[in-house]
Amino acid sequence: MQRPDWAPETIDIERPSVARMYDYYLGGSHNFAADRAAARAMVEAVPEAPLMAQANRAFLRRAVQFLADAGVRQFLDIGSGIPTVGNVHEIAQRIDPESRVVYVDVDPVAVAHSQEILAGNDRAVVVQEDLRRPEAILRHPDVLRLLDFSEPVAVMIVAVLHFIPDADRPEEFLRTLRASLAPGSYLVMSQASDDGRAGTGERAEAERVYRRTDNQLFIRSRAELTALFAGFELVDPGVVWVPQWRPDAPEHAENAAQAVFMGGVGRLGG
Amino acid sequence: MASGGSVGDDGATATTRSRPGAFARAWAKAVSGTSYLPLTQAQLEALLQRLTERLALALRADPFDLRIGQQVGAELVQSHIASAEGLGRTIEVIQLRLVRDLDLAVDDVEDRMARLLATVATGYARALRDRTLDEQEAIRRAAMMARAQAERALRDSEARFRHQATHDPLTNLPNRTLFTERLTAAITAAGRGADRIGVCFLDLDRFKVVNDSLGHQVGDALLVSVARRLRRALGEHLVARLGGDEFVILVERTGCTEDVVKVAEAALAAVSEPALVDGHELTVSASIGIVERQVAGTSPLELMRAADSTLHWAKAAGGARWSLFDADRNRSDLARYALSAAIPAALDRGEFYLDYQPLTGLRDGRVVGMEALVRWRHPELGVLRPDSFIPLAEETGLIVRLGSWVLAEACREARTWAAGPAGAPFVSVNLAVRQLHRPGLVQEVQGVLGHTGLPAERLQLEITESTMMSTVAEPVRALRVLADLGVRVAIDDFGTGYCNLAYLRDLPVSELKVAGEFVAGLRAPAGDPRSRTDERILASLVSLAHALGLTVTAEGVETADQAARLRAIGCDAGQGWHFGRPGPAGPHLDRSPALTDTAS
Repeated sequence: MQRPDWAPETIDIERPSVARMYDYYLGGSHNFAADRAAARAMVEAVPEAPLMAQANRAFLRRAVQFLADAGVRQFLDIGSGIPTVGNVHEIAQRIDPESRVVYVDVDPVAVAHSQEILAGNDRAVVVQEDLRRPEAILRHPDVLRLLDFSEPVAVMIVAVLHFIPDADRPEEFLRTLRASLAPGSYLVMSQASDDGRAGTGERAEAERVYRRTDNQLFIRSRAELTALFAGFELVDPGVVWVPQWRPDAPEHAENAAQAVFMGGVGRLGG
Repeated sequence: MASGGSVGDDGATATTRSRPGAFARAWAKAVSGTSYLPLTQAQLEALLQRLTERLALALRADPFDLRIGQQVGAELVQSHIASAEGLGRTIEVIQLRLVRDLDLAVDDVEDRMARLLATVATGYARALRDRTLDEQEAIRRAAMMARAQAERALRDSEARFRHQATHDPLTNLPNRTLFTERLTAAITAAGRGADRIGVCFLDLDRFKVVNDSLGHQVGDALLVSVARRLRRALGEHLVARLGGDEFVILVERTGCTEDVVKVAEAALAAVSEPALVDGHELTVSASIGIVERQVAGTSPLELMRAADSTLHWAKAAGGARWSLFDADRNRSDLARYALSAAIPAALDRGEFYLDYQPLTGLRDGRVVGMEALVRWRHPELGVLRPDSFIPLAEETGLIVRLGSWVLAEACREARTWAAGPAGAPFVSVNLAVRQLHRPGLVQEVQGVLGHTGLPAERLQLEITESTMMSTVAEPVRALRVLADLGVRVAIDDFGTGYCNLAYLRDLPVSELKVAGEFVAGLRAPAGDPRSRTDERILASLVSLAHALGLTVTAEGVETADQAARLRAIGCDAGQGWHFGRPGPAGPHLDRSPALTDTAS
């Protein structure tokens, strides 16, 4: 997994990218044939896949809205993917133009696209890094330039963790991130879950589809995801299917388990 | 204001914004879920209420305005209601509910509704197509940018890696690898055969002293400073650091040797500038070996070797200078080195042997002693005399092993010499400086004497005056111990080397061997003034020696006349062709006392 620093990743658009597949689910056209083929295979295995993506995106929007209303003005969105519609900075800066946002993604094409989108916005920037290297993220000059870690920061890890196996010890890099945060900071996480759906065969099928991409799928239960919020106090309603998390309208939370994603928001006390 | 479908609410006026009516809410419900909408439900309903008012306006406008429907379609897409399903459900809900929910009274309503739906669909499809194309272009551009960035990063990292591999990390000068590459390229490049090329090997003089006395940190800082000065002074020429305090300069396309000499002089001047290094004012000098020749017929390795050995000439000459490569000198150097390198194997193969030359008493013609002289029966070069290999053996330190062999062999042979009426002759062995400075000398001599059974009185060690130049206590103490054991100590070549007689006070010397130069003067007729001078010097030396209780042996005695005059002076013994040439010990021993010959 570890490349030497002097050997940059090559760009191969013949390989599906999870960031561009996600864009496709959301109705975007920031994708290539290989991405669409993989995404269509996924929809065949899990027909709700586009709904999942949309529900997750809506969760992100509501979470940012919630955080901005709570006074958070700094956002670190790790695994931000292709900026399509409803990006964190659009939501946050609509509420307060002074809000600062750092996007982090490991996909060089996603990063290059984000650079174009963010050109001219001096309060939002994108950094190419890996969630698994939190020290490198926290040390990055652009991160340090834009974010003041003595003030609350919202760390967003949305629809990313299911690409991280337990073997990579997510609890450790989450601990590293937490250690750098000031009290009043937040952690927003969501990921694919099969809570109460185990045994339908969908999990195996979905994992099979993602094996074709650079990222494998690692599904977690509600308890497993909740455990990753260690050190944070979950705000209501805790870790739930994402449509159930503070819905705009009660009816939006119906059939929530179809969304496949579970998520929550934790606050760092002290 | 209730949210119900009152006509006034759903508004026939396009200018005021109203609360969402029943139609707008139904529309919102229809399109939600068709694609991701970055809007809250309230925002979506407000948007669609506004568009509803536009649709109502379009339906009633006279004449029919194509643009309004198209703008509504485009605005839907811009608001991210941008999917095939979104369009389908929009058409469905407008067709079914718009007129009814808004209670619109329009003439020719079916016809106008069809036209309205056509314009909405047109505007929608056009906007969606534009958006798709824009996004495709954006992602392709991003992929291209990412690829360019990755390639640039790769090139940068390759360049960085290459730099690290070809540069010295301390001084950031090119290293041996890069220098060799450039030198090879300069030599092998096509069409360069007629060119000339120069190489300067540069080495700081006494750099070790800086390191040892001021520490490696100062030493390193000095190297960095020297590197900077060299680069500044020799800008156009490649300066590399080979390691340690060794630098090398490549001078390409030289016209003649003088071109490289100028570079070397500039380098020497740059090195010798006083410099403040780590708080120390340091002035250093350097030695340079220069090679300059035609590119044709040479190789990088040959040039480097030649420059390296030329550097040693500059060092040997005292440093702070350049030396120019000289092929003849190099050849003889190489031959000497080859010979020196062969000494250990030759010792193992027993190629060395000893010849002896007698020291003969001038009074009775009796052989009092014999000087052991080493010979090398070289398998290719024949028998070699010591002067062709001893100096080099002394330089390289091989003299210690060779000297030990000579000592042991001489003692072993001497033990076998039969005693005459006045006892057997002693054996005289030359001792090199390095042997004398070895801590184990006393034990070695004692060991050899014990092993061979030769009495100490029958061993004489010859040392030269220059050996005693360094008045180090240890050799003097060793000689005293040996003298106390009974070993004789002779000063070889007395009177030609170190003109300070003080050492005679401290040294347990038993004999002076007077150099052949003085004896040579005695060959001239006795009346010759030069001859007389030599005779007087010899007479004084003899009386000095006798006054100190020392015996005197004259070297280089070639004629009976010389022998007679030396005897007349009072000299004790003579050595030279007159008494016997170097050869096996036996014949010398067998020879009857040569008194009569000597006297004649």
